This record gives sequence, structure tokens and C-alpha cells, in this order.
Amino acid sequence: MKTLTSFIISLILSFFVNNAQANSSLKTNFKTGNPGITSIHKMTFGPEGILFIGDSNAAQIVAVDLSEHPKIDNSKVKLDQLDKLIADMMGTTIDQIQITDMVVNPGNDNIYLSINHSSGVPILLRVEDNILKQVPLDNVSYSKTILINPVTEEAKDRRGRKLRKWAVADIKYIEGKVLLSGLSNQEFASTFRSIDFPFSEKQNYSSLEIYHAAHGKYETHAPIKAFIPTDINGNPHLVASYTCTPLVVFPMNEIKPSEHNKGRTVAELGSGNSPIDMIEIENEGNRYLLIANSNRPLMKIDFKDLEAYKGSLTTPVVKKGAAVGVDYVNLPFVNVQQLDKLGDSFIMVQRESNGNLALKTGNSWWVK
Amino acid sequence: MKNFFEILLVFISLIQVTQAQSSLDFTVTKNQILIKKGNVSEERIVAFIGEIPEDKLGSSTPVLGKTLQTNEGILFIPIVPFGWNQKYTLVYNHIIEYFELTIPKNYESLSVTEVYPSTPILPSNILKLYIRFSKPINTASVYDHIRFINLAGDTLSRTILPLENPLISNDRKLLTLWIEPGRQKRGLGPNKQLGRVFNKDTYRLIVTKDIKDSNGISMQKDFIHSFNIGNTDRIKPTIDDWKIDIPKINSISKLLVHCSEPMDYGSLQDNINIVDSNTLEVKGMWQLLEQETILSFQPKEPWKKGNYQILCNPEIEDLAGNNLSRLFDKEIKNGSNKESINQQYSLRFTIN
Repeated sequence: MKTLTSFIISLILSFFVNNAQANSSLKTNFKTGNPGITSIHKMTFGPEGILFIGDSNAAQIVAVDLSEHPKIDNSKVKLDQLDKLIADMMGTTIDQIQITDMVVNPGNDNIYLSINHSSGVPILLRVEDNILKQVPLDNVSYSKTILINPVTEEAKDRRGRKLRKWAVADIKYIEGKVLLSGLSNQEFASTFRSIDFPFSEKQNYSSLEIYHAAHGKYETHAPIKAFIPTDINGNPHLVASYTCTPLVVFPMNEIKPSEHNKGRTVAELGSGNSPIDMIEIENEGNRYLLIANSNRPLMKIDFKDLEAYKGSLTTPVVKKGAAVGVDYVNLPFVNVQQLDKLGDSFIMVQRESNGNLALKTGNSWWVK
Repeated sequence: MKNFFEILLVFISLIQVTQAQSSLDFTVTKNQILIKKGNVSEERIVAFIGEIPEDKLGSSTPVLGKTLQTNEGILFIPIVPFGWNQKYTLVYNHIIEYFELTIPKNYESLSVTEVYPSTPILPSNILKLYIRFSKPINTASVYDHIRFINLAGDTLSRTILPLENPLISNDRKLLTLWIEPGRQKRGLGPNKQLGRVFNKDTYRLIVTKDIKDSNGISMQKDFIHSFNIGNTDRIKPTIDDWKIDIPKINSISKLLVHCSEPMDYGSLQDNINIVDSNTLEVKGMWQLLEQETILSFQPKEPWKKGNYQILCNPEIEDLAGNNLSRLFDKEIKNGSNKESINQQYSLRFTIN
């Protein structure tokens, strides 16, 4: 009898659980077909195998369901002469292609690379058994949203303003929101956007102006180059790095649309450098922030140091090329062009000192 | 394992090429290979970039593409168009063929058609330049092909913001260059350490001839554009200083707005329009004339009697990134943080 009761209870529970899962599905408004992706500049994975693609040319964000790709073990992946390999696959030369991003689906460890070709054709590739395979994007399950300027602004000016050029600098997903940073060709300003997901016709659309701490005398609009949403001391924050300046943290719950949102500068990572990618890795209870840079090695910041740092840098670094603020460690990986988390370690596209462009894993020893 | 077998199968099929038969009847364009019907016996066409010798085919990477059966024969459509002046290898039905698409004789090479600002004197805190090309360009690492040199012929370092995703228009002809804002903006690290990008002097903007169009074909020669650097501009543009040449009633004459200084080309695009007294938009086309100092508006319909407003978006900038509502880098003063971003900027005129 006890077994029967347990069975009935578990049956009822499973009904509710399944029902709850069905209701929570993020793909209910997905349709199948060609989403019309014209370029892939930045990508990120959300839950349920949903890949968010930042398409700057079409000023759109496309969510593509890639959950059908099976879980695979990419812990030993190593592809040498990646640029040559991709160029060969596309029947072209290295100078005609650009590897625009590399992301890992945390749900199944599939690695994806996005390529733009000079002809304007965007390509998505997936790594399987150390081989690159094309992921066709002309017939997929998808949902998309157009990046438009705030409606109120257009209404106020009574102008049918055309879409401005807006290049997606970084894109991340967190708890029902797609976060975007970018740069327009009209104004050098920090454009940071939060778009509700699932996308709907009536977007809850925030356009935030974020300022990093003024360097003394002058207030600065500047575009965020790379960012991650994360927790600092148990509260949701945005850790952002700027094109021409430092690492800045913003409490998420204090960021309000149409207001100046000032962050706290916690580190200067050396001038002449621009961040490329930022990831967070949690390993054996430790959390690390890894930052790939244009002109510095891969940097590792311990979240304990980030959380303990209560200061705010307000004056420029005088010593040329020096770094100040939160401590960081340079890892022995230079020229890391793409970076993402893979399991409890990381994976990167790195231009090695011998010129070889490699897709390879980092050793988790570095983040323990 | 599956992949191993796939590779093995390709390898075996390629070994059979050794028993190569007669040549294929095929045609090639940039977008396809067509093998005529008489030759069709297999379902798969394999193409490689380069002239691959038979013994290297097994270790080479085939070009991605689709093979389709048509009434004319069997088609291979590469994932991206084949390049000109590029050798390829085609393998079909154990036959190897090599082909190359030569560039058409009358092919018009890529060139730079405009540079904005076109005025010969730029402020020392110039923020943006725009380069217009005659045809779509290859945007991969595009900023590597652009540099500034001084009178001595030295290339200046750290002049352009090297964006991974270049700011290129949808037709891929208009490229925006941000002159390193960290150096142009006072108070930032790069400005403190390196100073601003330009001094009062003469410079040349060079677009090197190795920049390529979307077909992978380079320019024929370097493009050179000289300009002088003048004073720093730290004054907001004021539309109240702008003068309007009012057109005649019932004509489609142009309305001209004389700005008090050269304006930023990009920020004016789609950021200005005219409405009538019923706030209905007057349809027409805007142009920038006289080194971006005159805004010209050509209406579609003849002007009617009435009152009009020219609505200007606050984001319209001068050459130094100062817009109608704020300076590019403003000094922080107590209570000065409120910007008039919601203020409407408009000019009124009447047609009698």
C-alpha cells in the first residue's frame, strides 16, 4: 500500500513538474524557417540550448534552438591552423574570413565558431570529434527581435527614423533577459540594452546609459567592450570593461533606464589594451574571472579579491602601462582571440608564438 | 569513428581517381559548378581550393557546399562564391579537373570615392572620419589597411579605435573610423599618457591598396587624403546660429540650412527632418554640401504656404563629437550632470 501511495504521489508530482516545465519553456513562440541572419558578430548561450546571435548588419538578435546537438566530450579538442582550415572549407583565403566569436553550449559542451566571409555570408561551425561541421542557419527553429531605438524617442520627434548602424560588442543572457552592449556609428556613448526573453512584439526595452567613474575631472560616455553578469558579495552585478579604459562594476538592481548609472572602477588593466572576452569559472568552490585581451596575456582575477576590493579608482594611472586596483595574475596564454568556459576549465582560440592559430583547451589546473 | 569511416570513404573514392577517365564537360561560375547531364553518374561533386595533386586529395579539406540534381545536370553550389584568380580542384566520377576563374577584363577596381569630413581643416579633437568606397568591401581586419602619416612620412601609432566588428554600413561601402577616443577625450589614461592623436600640423590619411572588395580584389593604388589640424573645438553646436535660405512657394526649390561650422556626416543621417504646421513630415531628401557646412533639403512635392519646423535630434554632432545637448568631454561641476536630453531642438520658418 505504501508503495502504491508513493507511486500515486510521484505520478501526481511528475505531472506537475512536467506541466511546469512545459509552461516555462522559452521556445513556445519559436518558429521554423530562415531567420535571415546577415552577419554573426557576437554569440552567447542561454538555457535549453538556445543560441543568441548578435547580427549587427541586420540590427537584430536571433535566438536559435540548437538543443538537438548531442552532448559531446570536447575536453581534448585541438585544432591547429584553424584559420587555414576554415578558409579551405570555404574555398577562400585566410584574409577573406574573420572568426568573429567562439562559444560553448554549457548544457552539452558543443563548441561553435562564427565566421563572416568577405562576400557577406555568415557561417556557423560546430566542432565534433575535432572536425568542423557547418550548422545550416536557413531552416532552424528560431525567434528574433529587431534592435530599434526607443519608441518614445521616435514618437516624440515624429520621425520615422531609419535604423542606425549599431555594432554589437557583447551579448549575455541572464534570467529572462538578453543583455547587450554596443557602439553606434553616430555617437560615442555607452549603449547598454536589456531585452526581455522570450522576445515579444511589445518589447520591454531598456536603453541604459552607463558611465564609468570619471577620471577626476571629466565625465565619460564610453562603450562597454565586454561584460558579464555575475554575483558580487551575493548581489547581482555587471562586471564591464571598456574599450579604452578599465574594469568597472555596477550593481544590477541600481541600474535604471534613462538615468546616469555610475559604476565603480575596480581595476586599470594597462593602457594600450582592449578586453576581448570575459568569462567566470567556478571550480572547487573558487570563482575566477578570466579576461582575454588584445595586448595583454590572459588575466585571472580571484572573485575573493574582487569582492574584497571596496575602493574606486578615480585618478588615471600615471606610470605608463601600469595596472592598478584589484590584483590579477597573468596566465601564460598570449594573443587569446576568443575565450569561453568549457566545463570547469576554458577553451580559447589563440595565436601561438609560432604563428599557429589554435582552438584548444586551457588546463583546469590554472583555475583551481 | 563515424568520421573515420567518412574520411576513409572519401579517401577510397579518391584512390579510384587514379583510374582517371576522360575529361568532364562542366562549366564554372562564381556561384556554381555545373556538370552537364551526359557526364552525370555520381551524386557528389567534391571541390578543393588550390591545385591539389592526386596523392594529396585524401588529406585536403573539401569546400563546403550543396550538390543538387537539375535538368541540366548536377550542380555544386559552394557555401561562399568561388574567388577570382584563385585555383580550384574539382573531383567527380574519378576525374580530376583544375579550374580558375579569371577576373573580368572590364572589372572596376575598388576605390575610395569620398572622405568625410571633406573640409581641409579639422579640429585637433576630431572624433570620427568616414570613408566611402565605390563598392562593398571585405571587412575582415579592415582597420589594418588604414593609417595616418605625418609630414615626415612617419605612421602615427594608436590613431584608430580597432573594432573587431567594424562599423560598416549595410551596403558595406561606408566605413566609420573612430579616432582613438581615449586619446581625444581629456582625462582618460591614453590621453594622459600619449596625448591627443593630432597636433596642429598637416597629416595624410592612407587607405592602403591591399584593402579588398567583397570579391577579394584589391585597390589598384593607395588612397591618400591630406588634411590640416586646426584649433580644438570645445563648443557645442548651436542651431540658433544656423541660417535658413527659404525656398519659394509652389516650387520644389531646395531649402538650405547654413550651419555655423562643418557638421559630422554620420550623426546627421536620419537625425533631421521637416514638419508642417500639422506636424506632418515633409517628404524629401537631405544632402550635405559645401564641406558639410550646408544642409540641403529637396522636397518631393512643391512647397505650400505655411509654417514649418526643422526638427533636429540632440545627437547631431560637430566634428569633435560635441552634440546639440552636450560636450564630448565635459568638466564635472556640481549639479551639471543633468543633460537636456529631452530638449527639442528645432528651427522655424515660414513660406509665404
